[in-house]
Amino acid sequence: MVETMAKQAVQANGICKSYKGFFTKATMVLKNISLEIDEGEIFGLLGPNGSGKTTLISIFSTLIYPELGSLRILGLDGQKDRDQIRKLINISTAKPNFPWSLTVKENLRHYGMLYGLYGSGLARIVSDQIDAFELNDFQDMKFEDLSTGLKQRLSLAKAMLNSPRLLFLDEPTTGLDPDISLKTRLLIQRIHKEQNISVLLSTHYMPEAEMLCDRIAFLRKGEIVALDTPQNLKNHLGLGEKVIVQFLGQVDTAEIEKVPGVLSVSSVPGKAEITIDRNADSLDRIVKLFARAKILDISIKEPDLEDVFIELAR
Amino acid sequence: MNWRGKLNKYLASAYKNWIISKRNIFTVFELFFWPMISLLSIGLLTRFLKVDEGMGSFLLVGAIALTILQVAQIDVAYVLLFDMWSKSIKNTFIAPVHSYHLVFGALLFGILRGSVVFLILVVVSRYLFGFNFLAGGPVPVIIFLAGVFATAAVIGIAVCISILTFGQKADVAAWSLSGLILLFSGIYYPIDVLPASLQVVARAIPLTYFLEYYRSVFIPEPHNLAVGALLAAFYLIAGLILFDRAIERARRTGIMLRLSE
Repeated sequence: MVETMAKQAVQANGICKSYKGFFTKATMVLKNISLEIDEGEIFGLLGPNGSGKTTLISIFSTLIYPELGSLRILGLDGQKDRDQIRKLINISTAKPNFPWSLTVKENLRHYGMLYGLYGSGLARIVSDQIDAFELNDFQDMKFEDLSTGLKQRLSLAKAMLNSPRLLFLDEPTTGLDPDISLKTRLLIQRIHKEQNISVLLSTHYMPEAEMLCDRIAFLRKGEIVALDTPQNLKNHLGLGEKVIVQFLGQVDTAEIEKVPGVLSVSSVPGKAEITIDRNADSLDRIVKLFARAKILDISIKEPDLEDVFIELAR
Repeated sequence: MNWRGKLNKYLASAYKNWIISKRNIFTVFELFFWPMISLLSIGLLTRFLKVDEGMGSFLLVGAIALTILQVAQIDVAYVLLFDMWSKSIKNTFIAPVHSYHLVFGALLFGILRGSVVFLILVVVSRYLFGFNFLAGGPVPVIIFLAGVFATAAVIGIAVCISILTFGQKADVAAWSLSGLILLFSGIYYPIDVLPASLQVVARAIPLTYFLEYYRSVFIPEPHNLAVGALLAAFYLIAGLILFDRAIERARRTGIMLRLSE
């Protein structure tokens, strides 16, 4: 079988997509997207709202079709083998929706049937997903009565019904409380580890991408503006380390700005944030400029993806 | 995938419709209230007009046919309407399913519900109006019901195609199309009374032929059942092809995504 030999979960080349209403002009939402995602990788799609993340995931999952470009999913042709691809993938989205009056168990049963599961096999898989996603106490609760977090867990459980080799997660923690978000991230990590599936995750939460993703692509206005590992992105963008000094007294920030390796300085009375080039040996000289003040605290913060996001979203 | 897995892909829609229907109090209205209103009003009209037995059967066959047509067609349409209302359409179409899985599963449940309504109406019309619907034996009844259910499937498919083509506002088609069928197929009158141009439309509707066939059991008249059967088969096949095309178009235009948001 072709798909068992695939090294890439996704191979996209020159994907373009625009939307057009009956009376409106076409709006280009994806422009010439090319990327490869390895099998077994957790790949992150980051970008501000409206950057094209959901459209790209929808195209990769064959829910909608691109106008231009070629696509291979798990080694299968994205145009000719769509039926075969749909058997091997699944999706969980932000703010998931399911038929309201079906319970958790009935929803899983219904979607399991759509994947051709039957009899005791279907009952076992439904039961396994209910266990895996800790839905036991809620399995007979109607979808409309579930909390947002439980709806998200149901969505993830549904996405695992067909044991997919490639899982699409479109902003899976949007709208969740921080503790539920963390639980969901750990759940995603566990699924990926236990089942060794490829995951394409879209998010605009930087900690989520940093925690989960092997590589990240930044989308802006339908284009990939950066693609690398989280660490390399931080390094290559030269965002520098942030030195935060809390002090009593006066400090001449203009002098600090002149120190070689200092990228920027922002200060309020009693606190200065200095961004320095991580490769430059400037910390010692900066500290000396605080000689006339009393340093209360000094900390160094590595740039995080939040900084990368802000930089790239500009 | 073995035959049980393939069968379950069809039964998934019937399962969903069954669960939603049994939890919905308004199902009672669909199964009992409106069918009874329809039958009683036509039955009482036949009393008021003092129509003969043949004319009474003509009108009551129409009332019963219309009712089961509406019940079965809405079940086929529900296969997408429920998904559209709950914004879960993408969960259905991310799975490896085709139009025929959705239509035949939903139609199966529509046939079950339509048969329940049919039995109720047969019993009520027998006791209240002395009309024996089964006078011609089981074979004409089965043929007649098959024609009504096939027409219902075609209307349900047309509603699904409208939803995928025009989006959420198209759900009004679910309730309008069967009204048009009522007008053109001679539910309460022979199609000869229609203007010539509308008679052409009537002759293009399979239900017209199945109604004429079944009424011939009570009032011997010529009929052309074979044309009705061929038309029904043609529309069903064409409907399924067009439904699959509408799905593909919705994927191309992105409506599939918008229906889930």
